[in-house]
Amino acid sequence: MKRNLYVGSTLLALIVGFGAAARILQQTAEAQGKGAVMAPRFEVDPMWPKPLPNGWYQGQTIGVGIDAQDHVWIIHRSDSLDASESAADEGTGTCCRRTPPILEFDQAGNLLRHWGGSDGPGYQWPASNHGLQIDAKGNVWIGGNGAGNDGHLLKFTQDGKFIMQVGIKRAGLGPDSLSNDRFYLVAKVSLDNKNNEAYVADGYGNRRVVVIDMDSGKFKRFWGAYGNKPDDAAGAALGRYAPGQGAQQQFRGPTHCAEPSNDGLIYVCDRTNDRLQVFTPQGKFVKEIFVMPDSLGDGSTWDVAFSKDAAQKYMYLADGRNQKVHIYDRQSLTELTSFGEGGHYPGQFYSMHSIATDSKGNLYTTETYQGRRVQKFVYKGLAPVTKKDQGTVWPTTGSR
Amino acid sequence: MKRTRALGSRGMFLAVLLAMAAGVAGRGLLAQGRGGAGPALRVNPLWPQPLPNHWVFGSVTGVAVDAQNHIWVTHRGADSLEGNEKGMMATPTTSSVCCVAAPFVLEFDAAGKIVSSFGGPGQGYQWPQSPGSLTVDAKGNVWVTAAGLEPPSAPGAARGRANTANVDPDAPAPAARGRGAAPGGGDAPARGAAPAPAGRGRGAAAPAATTDAHVLKFAKDGRFLLQIGTPGKMDGPDSQTTLNRPAAVAVDSAANEVYVADSGNHRIVVFDSETGAYKRHWGGSGDRPTAAGGGAYDPHAAPSRQFRDVTCVDIAKDGMVYVCDRSSDRIQVFQKNGTFVKEGILAKDTTGVTVTGQFGVVSSHGSVWDLAFSSDAQQRYLYVADGHNKVVRIVQRDTLAQVGSFGDGGRQPGRFLAVGSIATDSRGNVYTGEQHHGKRVQKWMPAAAPAGGTR
Repeated sequence: MKRNLYVGSTLLALIVGFGAAARILQQTAEAQGKGAVMAPRFEVDPMWPKPLPNGWYQGQTIGVGIDAQDHVWIIHRSDSLDASESAADEGTGTCCRRTPPILEFDQAGNLLRHWGGSDGPGYQWPASNHGLQIDAKGNVWIGGNGAGNDGHLLKFTQDGKFIMQVGIKRAGLGPDSLSNDRFYLVAKVSLDNKNNEAYVADGYGNRRVVVIDMDSGKFKRFWGAYGNKPDDAAGAALGRYAPGQGAQQQFRGPTHCAEPSNDGLIYVCDRTNDRLQVFTPQGKFVKEIFVMPDSLGDGSTWDVAFSKDAAQKYMYLADGRNQKVHIYDRQSLTELTSFGEGGHYPGQFYSMHSIATDSKGNLYTTETYQGRRVQKFVYKGLAPVTKKDQGTVWPTTGSR
Repeated sequence: MKRTRALGSRGMFLAVLLAMAAGVAGRGLLAQGRGGAGPALRVNPLWPQPLPNHWVFGSVTGVAVDAQNHIWVTHRGADSLEGNEKGMMATPTTSSVCCVAAPFVLEFDAAGKIVSSFGGPGQGYQWPQSPGSLTVDAKGNVWVTAAGLEPPSAPGAARGRANTANVDPDAPAPAARGRGAAPGGGDAPARGAAPAPAGRGRGAAAPAATTDAHVLKFAKDGRFLLQIGTPGKMDGPDSQTTLNRPAAVAVDSAANEVYVADSGNHRIVVFDSETGAYKRHWGGSGDRPTAAGGGAYDPHAAPSRQFRDVTCVDIAKDGMVYVCDRSSDRIQVFQKNGTFVKEGILAKDTTGVTVTGQFGVVSSHGSVWDLAFSSDAQQRYLYVADGHNKVVRIVQRDTLAQVGSFGDGGRQPGRFLAVGSIATDSRGNVYTGEQHHGKRVQKWMPAAAPAGGTR
């Protein structure tokens, strides 16, 4: 009886699975037959992750990284809650409480480990923690952009055990884009595990990419826009961005990401210049694109992640000004399509800040300011591009 | 045996199919609240449908359901949006695709599709500086109150503190920064920010004096019908012609009477709903209202007889009138003539805070912000929106005792920030609106409802 049921449901799963696969194959074949452009398709999972325990309330969420178990790690600003959000801590109500800044979720959206937020022996917690990535050994790397303070980055085990601090935190700190021993307002630390090098997006104060040794933290090299020597004075003189200003020879900043690809290219977000510059690992300029260059304010190039195929055929760019994930063909840097829309509902964004992919190709996004969420977008395979702007990508199956 | 087995696996087949069909909505169960007795509800995370035209909600202040089970929503619009939420409204625009404030009043069908919209200034009336609640009467007319901007310091403020951690580079530099926001510690680059968008007005750090003192009545197509009260004119709690930041209305269509929760005057005042002629009024506990009202709330003091901020009025089918006395953490019940019947206190230790944010001062005080009656014929339960504790309390109507709740704090579906308005339809669905940075309307369905039963 039991076995029959088992066989029955397995058969069902096979039939359903085969039907779906056949449909996708057919669509794919038709689309390719017509020469349609194909791109990864996503649908938001509106109920991921599960609610936080302990009356915890998530703050501005400004980093996401995925570990080898496909666990999703985020970093958020615990102390960004206003007094009505942290009413339980304030003693004015029962909801809610500040939450440790580093949170680990499993694929089902359960909260696992959580830690961070204060100094420990040998290290200084950033005044404003910012950005999170996990290296191949599972270690957690974070930066900090607390102005006047944060000139460092930190490396921990997944249990929150301190491993390394590079740079210093000191009151009164300012920019020094030529320093060989400290940063200023690091946005994100990305990892080239193969070459044991960390790429530091440095950052909100400095105007450069810095490459350090992942074990010793020793500075190896750094560069600015177009591979130029960074120049803080020239950068500061850029003033406000206006469309059509032409090639700016310094990063306007924040230098918000510096992401190495498998084939040895470094993708650098120059956020308020609305541009993404591509370099060799040695800092030689390769090419650049502008992303919705009519974007003012925060700028359009916040973070990038790559598709999970070995060739990393697609690049996902988080645009927290226009609330879009732009999907590019990575080699040509041609935009294929985009999704997302402003708002607080599932699949919408309020200042989308960070983006990451897991091993199955699913996307995770975080939102800062008043967004205060992490969202999961389920990878649905390649699909013909029918719209350049897909808007809010809700599940197409199931109930509304 | 064989047959049973066949049925069994067919049953399994159906179960699997049903589970698949349930899909997303089924998992809404996760968002169910803290449990207890009373109706069990689950959120529908995919309601309403995404707004067209890059529209976004501002702070949602009112939600109502009409006789067709259509859902009506009002919100504060651009005034309550931060610079990066209204980039298309700035000069120059800071984004070509995000976003624009939706019209002030929106009508949705049960499936969450926009049916109509209106709102804003027009001939013969003054649109509120900040709309409050919204009510649709039995004749289908739409009532909107002019509830006013939050006063810089609300009554009963336990503590107030500036918190501008959500620094937005589009915004003018704030005067003070909250903890956790070291200068420049937001995502704002130290330089290179765009000019502050034009039109950031009344909601900014130094709000203009509140002139909201009126109630507006529209036909459902937005045609103006009646204004009660005069903007800028506030003659105190005994006035028969003026109001003071009215928060909500209830309409007794059979009697042609409109009950106004006249928050700034700490009273309920009743007018003829066709002519606006004064009928009667009363204060907390049925007393004559005073200008001072209940004063600052102290959970350890005896309950004040006077109202503090009156934020709702609703009339049950049995003729009882329910009033939210928000920062007093209580519901008071009256007869239609103002005779006091009883009161119920909920989460009495709840005080509150006044937060100075991007778009001005927001007040979060008390546990009783709005209420709605359950859909059963007896209206056995009240759903009480508790904005400060970020939960909806299910209260037994006859005893005024809490029997359950749903929701909790947060920004994911099924969570709340400043849930301040609530309404029920005839099918057991509940709709909630969130103020401040919540900026959502959410739909809650009976947990037992079949998957896909949202239409």
